[in-house]
Amino acid sequence: MQTFATEVVDWPDTAPALREQVRALVAEHGEPDPVRRANSWTKADPAFSRRLGEAGLLGMTWPKEYGGHERSQLERYVVIEELLAAGAPVGAHWIADRQSAPLLLRLGNDELKERWVPAIARGEAFACIGLSEPGSGSDLASVRTAARRDGDGWVLNGQKVWTTGAHVSHFMIALVRTEAGSERQAGLSQLVIPMDAPGVSVKPIIDLTGAHEFNEVFFEDVRLPDSALLGVEGEGWKQATAELSLERSGPERYLSSMALFLELVRYAGPQDNPALEELVGRLAAEAWTLRLMSASVAAKLARGEDPALEATMVKDLGNSYEQAIPQLVQAAVDFGHNESAALRAVCFYLLQVSPSFSLRGGTREIIKGIIARGLGLR
Amino acid sequence: MSDTRRMLAETADPLFAELGPGATAERDGDRLDELGLPLLMVSEADGGFGGTWLDALTVFRLAGYHGLGIDLPRMVVARIAAEEDERFFHLMAFARAAQIAGALDAALAMVVGYVNDRQQFGRPLGKFQAVQQSLATFACEAAAANCAAVGAAQALDEGDAEFEIAAAKLRANRAVEVGTTVAHQVHGAIGFTQEYALHDLTRPLWQWRSEFGNDAYWARRLGKDVIARGADHFWPDLTARTD
Ligand SMILES: Cc1cc2nc3c(=O)[nH]c(=O)nc-3n(C[C@H](O)[C@H](O)[C@H](O)COP(=O)(O)OP(=O)(O)OC[C@H]3O[C@@H](n4cnc5c(N)ncnc54)[C@H](O)[C@@H]3O)c2cc1C
Repeated sequence: MQTFATEVVDWPDTAPALREQVRALVAEHGEPDPVRRANSWTKADPAFSRRLGEAGLLGMTWPKEYGGHERSQLERYVVIEELLAAGAPVGAHWIADRQSAPLLLRLGNDELKERWVPAIARGEAFACIGLSEPGSGSDLASVRTAARRDGDGWVLNGQKVWTTGAHVSHFMIALVRTEAGSERQAGLSQLVIPMDAPGVSVKPIIDLTGAHEFNEVFFEDVRLPDSALLGVEGEGWKQATAELSLERSGPERYLSSMALFLELVRYAGPQDNPALEELVGRLAAEAWTLRLMSASVAAKLARGEDPALEATMVKDLGNSYEQAIPQLVQAAVDFGHNESAALRAVCFYLLQVSPSFSLRGGTREIIKGIIARGLGLR
Repeated sequence: MSDTRRMLAETADPLFAELGPGATAERDGDRLDELGLPLLMVSEADGGFGGTWLDALTVFRLAGYHGLGIDLPRMVVARIAAEEDERFFHLMAFARAAQIAGALDAALAMVVGYVNDRQQFGRPLGKFQAVQQSLATFACEAAAANCAAVGAAQALDEGDAEFEIAAAKLRANRAVEVGTTVAHQVHGAIGFTQEYALHDLTRPLWQWRSEFGNDAYWARRLGKDVIARGADHFWPDLTARTD
């Protein structure tokens, strides 16, 4: 039984030059605080996103017609893994570049595409994902936020929650019930909602580190034009779940704690400590393997395949890895030393945020359930 | 997969399945010789098969998958490296990683088959969420071992593969821990019997994990190297290995 057919990745010839370009840009922008480099894909910095847009590093694979650069999926992969490995603050545009714009390009009408995609490629429009609701977490098919037809448009009412970046986003792609009285996966559609539409309000949720990354979003008689419908009415479930392959296998699923690993290597340098050497070796082997796995999925996506099972496995292994690093470092390092200040700061920051790694994008239990289905057990 | 590799797989697979764990070099060695398998990595100029390391991976994986009783990987490697050389040790570490990957996949298939079959509390075990979650964990570990073995084979085909072999053997070793634990747990008592074939896979897995470098050995070697290169080199080094 082979559950993960590895693709031998043929890395693009342009990779070294692209890496140089990204490294230079990140160095110029400079993020001196090692804590800010950890979990960097949630750190919003609109100015940095615009710099990437100017440099042609957003919307890399999209048609030129929509402000894209028509480069290959693997070239994009090279850029995003460089950004994450360097801990660049990519949070503002991350969701828009990773999944919202590709979704709009695949399913959107001309109006939606023209309005949003070029602005995303410039690093000027940001997006958020409206899936979760107070009653719908793991059981996503229970969403209740509803839009009803009204003349030649929609009227939307309801609430989303845990919406990362809603407060810095320009639009949301939401999964809502468009057929009154429908149940579960049926009667759901995806709508594109401008965050400045009258009736949309955003209320911050402060996380346990004191940071403001996610929000509650309320819809009160929000009027949307007919063109707000993304894709096909009633096909929202299928569309939203297909999107998840893009979300699950990327390097952001194993590199969140890379900043801590690098601080660990720096700290271990002068120590001559076999336990630390072993830990570094173990984590390095895992990083190498996960990079292969994640790139293998990217190569399959680039060929138009949908390696949903493989993508899910990368998320599960990757989350477990990035979540284990702070715990392992804490167990192995004697934080009494002065020279460990940066290591300590990054470690304690990641200890606090890492519980979210196996929640966001689907919980560990739900992910393992999907893998079990792939094994033919359900 | 290349045509050569498909052909190799199509000949090796049924043969290894037939010979299985009971195979011995004395009795069955000729069958392997007939197919030229021990000469897999000897160049064509020297009368060998002239295979690549990705070809070798295919064969070694299948040897692991079927728990082949003959140490064919060792025969292959011994043809191109002297036992006392560092290179022999490295290549055998790669071979064991490939065998581990194959054996884990076979054990996973066995477990999945078993839990779909065995009923307790009025349903197949595979319907219980706790069982599903352990098997999902196992599948991820088997996947990681397989990917790591492919990565090492690819690096070997391209030249220097010291880092990749170390990382692949270490990763495969770690997967053995989860794989053998889950496989036996889920099988219950039947898996602990001589009669049931699970041990044909798990006993070699336990052995391969400690051969040609255990976890501690490779973790330390890798760790020392990474630390000596310094934090600022880790990522550039990693990407330079594939670019
Ligand atoms: C940092 C972060 C960012 C997020 N960003 C977004 C976002 O931008 N947009 C968005 O829509 N959502 C977002 N989410 C929400 C996320 O998708 C949900 O948290 C997740 O789907 C789980 O839902 P829940 O929190 O309601 O937990 P629940 O569904 O209440 O689950 C609680 C626990 O029970 C387990 N559980 C639930 N059902 C089962 C079952 N059938 N079998 C076994 N175990 C089960 C879960 O695995 C979990 O461990 C974000 C979450 C986090 C932490």
